[in-house]
Amino acid sequence: MKAVITSILVAFILALTFSLPALAQDSGTITITMTGANEISISLDKTHWPLGNVASNTEYETSPPIEWCTLTVEGNCNVNTFIVGKDAEWVSNPSAYKWTLSSDGTNGETIYGLWFRISGDTARGYVPVTKIESEFWPYSGGSGSSLAPGDKKQFGLRLLTPTYFVSGRQMQTQITISAVAA
Amino acid sequence: MVRHIKLAGLIATLLVIFLPSFTLAQDVNFGVSPAKVKIDNLPPGEATEFELTIHNKDEIAHVFTFTTFQPPEEEREEGMAGFPDVSWISFSSPEIEVAANSQANVTVTAAIPQEQKWAGKDWEVWLGIAAESSDLLGVKLYVRCLVSTMGGKSNIGLFAGIAAAIVLLGYGSYYYLRRKAKPE
Repeated sequence: MKAVITSILVAFILALTFSLPALAQDSGTITITMTGANEISISLDKTHWPLGNVASNTEYETSPPIEWCTLTVEGNCNVNTFIVGKDAEWVSNPSAYKWTLSSDGTNGETIYGLWFRISGDTARGYVPVTKIESEFWPYSGGSGSSLAPGDKKQFGLRLLTPTYFVSGRQMQTQITISAVAA
Repeated sequence: MVRHIKLAGLIATLLVIFLPSFTLAQDVNFGVSPAKVKIDNLPPGEATEFELTIHNKDEIAHVFTFTTFQPPEEEREEGMAGFPDVSWISFSSPEIEVAANSQANVTVTAAIPQEQKWAGKDWEVWLGIAAESSDLLGVKLYVRCLVSTMGGKSNIGLFAGIAAAIVLLGYGSYYYLRRKAKPE
């Protein structure tokens, strides 16, 4: 009889040993950690590039070419930045006519190329802006590091118009520069 | 003369207006806090909420839109996997208007379906906040959102405990019955 009681007790203790931590985990609280009071923020000192009339198969550069716009890190955390473009749409009827943004900076019939160049970035020079978000600064294989609060990066744009397009249509596109905490 | 007119006509057809827009030039300047959110111990089947604050530092009001983004592996923090389904993340509103030099909050909800396969996971998703604009250049800020679900080991421990109890009870009963059956 003693053995039975002992067995039951041992079994009970063993079961508790294994199960209690498990049950305790089930009743754990959800924790949400907001990393400090960190604010992420970047600013651009230019957002417009009014080109006027453009000709086909022609390159246009911002002026000055690579110090046209200044990106400034305004928040209080280091950031990595990215750039992405999109197709250019006819302002009057965006769904009816567009220029497709090239994936490699080259042009074609109703395909246009878009490039950016960061001042001081001699390793990459002009880099195509594509419809896939890609590194602005820093970049893989480069020696640059994340941008710290107060850091600035100057850059310029280059447009390569399509080899053929329908004339007389006002086209509009957008380039987005994004940032994430490093 | 006719050739010259034809040439002029051809040049005219090759021209197009490429105007990103002629609204008043404005800097893009806004911030979001916090820059990173870490959710721990979120059990599958449950949801949690947190707030993001959008600081509009411009002299004019802006409408801000919210999206989710799956960062590529090389941009994710170490040990974090891609979020299985961005529809599990929702915003209290798809967009919000913030007055000049003001701030506003948006509530973000993370809800994980109640399936054991989502237990014990570490995921990363980025929450994108952008100022609506028709300008050529726009800014989007991403908030890193790291989600760790409650571990799946809990049930293993529970089952191990129950199994140990059954084995010991069985052995105890067998030993007791054997002793009882033995003649004195």
